[in-house]
Amino acid sequence: MLPHLPGRTYVRYGRSVSAAPLPARTLPRRDAEARARLHAVAARTQPFVAAGDRRLPVRGPIGALLPAGGVQRGSTIAVGGAPGSGSTTVALTLAAAATSAGEWAAIVDPADSLGRGTIGARAAAEAGVELDRLAVARCASADRWGAVVAALLDGITLVVAAVPPRLRLGDARRLVARARERSAVLVALGDWPVEAAMRVHTGPGGWRGLDAGSGLLEARDLNVSVEAKGRGFARAG
Amino acid sequence: MTTRTGCVWCPDWPVVAARRRDPALQAVPVFVRERVGARELVRAASAEARAVGVTRGMRRREAEAQCPEAVCIDADEALEARTFELVARAVEAFTPRVVLDRPGLCAFATRGPSRYFGGDDALGVRVQQEVASALGDPKSDVRIGIADGGFTARLAARRADTTAPYVVEPGASAAFCAPWPVAVLDDPDLASLLVRLGLPTLGDVAALPADAVLARFGADGRRFHDLARGLDAGPPVLVTPPPDLVEQTELDPPVARVDAVAFAAKGLAGRLLFRLAERGLACTRVVIEAETEHGERLARCWRHDRVLTPAALAERVRWQLDGWLLGRVDDGADEDLDTTTGGLTLLRLVPDEVVPADGRQLGFWGGDQAAHDRADRALARVQGLLGYDAVTTAVVQGGRTAAEQIRWVPWGDAREPERPLVVDTFPAAWPGALPAPFPARVLDPPAPAQLSDEHGNAVVVTGRGEQSGDPARLECAVLPGGGGAVRGWAGPWASDVRWWDPLARRRGARWQVVVDCGAAGGDVACVVLVEAGRAGVEAIYD
Repeated sequence: MLPHLPGRTYVRYGRSVSAAPLPARTLPRRDAEARARLHAVAARTQPFVAAGDRRLPVRGPIGALLPAGGVQRGSTIAVGGAPGSGSTTVALTLAAAATSAGEWAAIVDPADSLGRGTIGARAAAEAGVELDRLAVARCASADRWGAVVAALLDGITLVVAAVPPRLRLGDARRLVARARERSAVLVALGDWPVEAAMRVHTGPGGWRGLDAGSGLLEARDLNVSVEAKGRGFARAG
Repeated sequence: MTTRTGCVWCPDWPVVAARRRDPALQAVPVFVRERVGARELVRAASAEARAVGVTRGMRRREAEAQCPEAVCIDADEALEARTFELVARAVEAFTPRVVLDRPGLCAFATRGPSRYFGGDDALGVRVQQEVASALGDPKSDVRIGIADGGFTARLAARRADTTAPYVVEPGASAAFCAPWPVAVLDDPDLASLLVRLGLPTLGDVAALPADAVLARFGADGRRFHDLARGLDAGPPVLVTPPPDLVEQTELDPPVARVDAVAFAAKGLAGRLLFRLAERGLACTRVVIEAETEHGERLARCWRHDRVLTPAALAERVRWQLDGWLLGRVDDGADEDLDTTTGGLTLLRLVPDEVVPADGRQLGFWGGDQAAHDRADRALARVQGLLGYDAVTTAVVQGGRTAAEQIRWVPWGDAREPERPLVVDTFPAAWPGALPAPFPARVLDPPAPAQLSDEHGNAVVVTGRGEQSGDPARLECAVLPGGGGAVRGWAGPWASDVRWWDPLARRRGARWQVVVDCGAAGGDVACVVLVEAGRAGVEAIYD
């Protein structure tokens, strides 16, 4: 008899064809490499996150730098670095981790005149963020910043917030507690004055593809260091 | 089970309301516009404007082209609701149970009053006269239809003329409905599907076996199949509203401002529907009751074709409050409405007709809907803190610069691009747009900067699009260390946008530049724009 293959329509051939043994190559591989690959696919495509799994997996080379390859729900992550060194890209990559898990992300933009400017939505899409699950709040006043971030943490899985200058320590600690209580992730972009589960710093990097008068930007070298419970300096291209 | 129903319809109600406020509009064609997303559409048009081809749902620009002499006014829902209170009160003189559909359309049960006034025809004529005289002009356009069931009565009102009501005899509803096109079901998607299935009229739909319609279209199918057969839209199983589901709030001190009461009503509406939903019920008709500080009691019933959502219910409460609290329709002295004499002390929402909730299909993988609801609540709260426009989502659209390529849509609005990124299957032509990678920080307006060549002269572009010198140094406050030497550059790409429009014309040139910002910043890539001799950093690849 033919083995039953689920989900296939199949035609019965003559005896000589159907009786031929299946080639060994098509049998499912059970070695460690295949298993690891399957796990990677399952982690990326899993449609829901079980209650016990409190980690949002981060894709790409940045994910490879993070402990256990992702961010822990309920934690606060401080992302800092000079403008242009890639801190926004890192924050967007973390936001992509939330939206690709089917959840929501929000960005609090300062919208001040001195201008760190607004998020580039196309860059966000490029980093893997689903734009229809990304909300951007423009908060010009530093007084309301804490209230806005706290309200967002109540309902949204990952909040990227550009830290205003002269943030009070008490406000910052309250937000850390709020994130922990709501199992949300707070990504503080800028100088975060209090403790954080993870600190990501982007240092001077480089660009490739552009010469004097010719070419276009193609690729960049990000210089990212992650400081989280014993993890030291690492570098990603 | 259908109730004999009369329907009062005032066509083009927004126009009627606007003309009552401003009698100067009586003589000219008028259309009322409303904003739907980013577009301005015609909400209603006067008869003169419609005669030359202005229709409802048309774009404002098209309507102006069709009828250039028409006056275009903004929609004012509060004014419409306020003015319709006149009609509601005139009908209320005949029967206590008036059910408002929307400003311009209301219904009442005719069984009692038509016996008293000597038949449906006599009742219809009297209601028509009363409503017309309440509107101050005996020749007002008021149509009355009387039939079995609300839907048929609405169709009958469309068949009526301004002098005589149209009465569909009892039991003749199905025959009356049969020739109407399926478009009157007021669901464009469904109508288009039915037409494609070869069912252009209600008669064709009514001829189908009920079980087949139910099997193909579900509960919604049963609804429109009943309508097509001239039965009332009312649910087959009416559930008596549990008495303890009344939601009320006492206002202390008494409130006379509409927005303050409407704010209280919003919470009330949400609570009412939430408690109904807990019992697996949904509401299709609600009575809004209020008491004033002088002991007046006001009540009005509103219904909705579909199940009421919190937003729809809050909107109806607001309309009603407009009618009660701002009863004066005209700005001048007017005996139109005897408004409430004081502020409201009590607001109560009583579910009048509830139906079993059909439930909502959750996401296949579960959990998704709950997360969506939580996010929605959090974002609505932030909108309350920062303002409606301050919470946005991004839509990628066509454009040349990084700022043009994003449209920020307020949270809750339709996510539609203004300019297409892709036309059919081809990427739309946006010459000068930079390919990936895209900048993560967009500065709009650009941050002032100095782009200079090796001799320290500012780099500018000639009329032919040639640069005066190679960029050698970029200085800008937003770059770390204030900028530095240029390591690599590409460009200039000259752009001359909207050259046909002297006011909106913009000429400029762009470079993609990598700047060495010293030990602190390393290499920073950005887009520099030179416009009218001044340089600015437009975007940073952060």
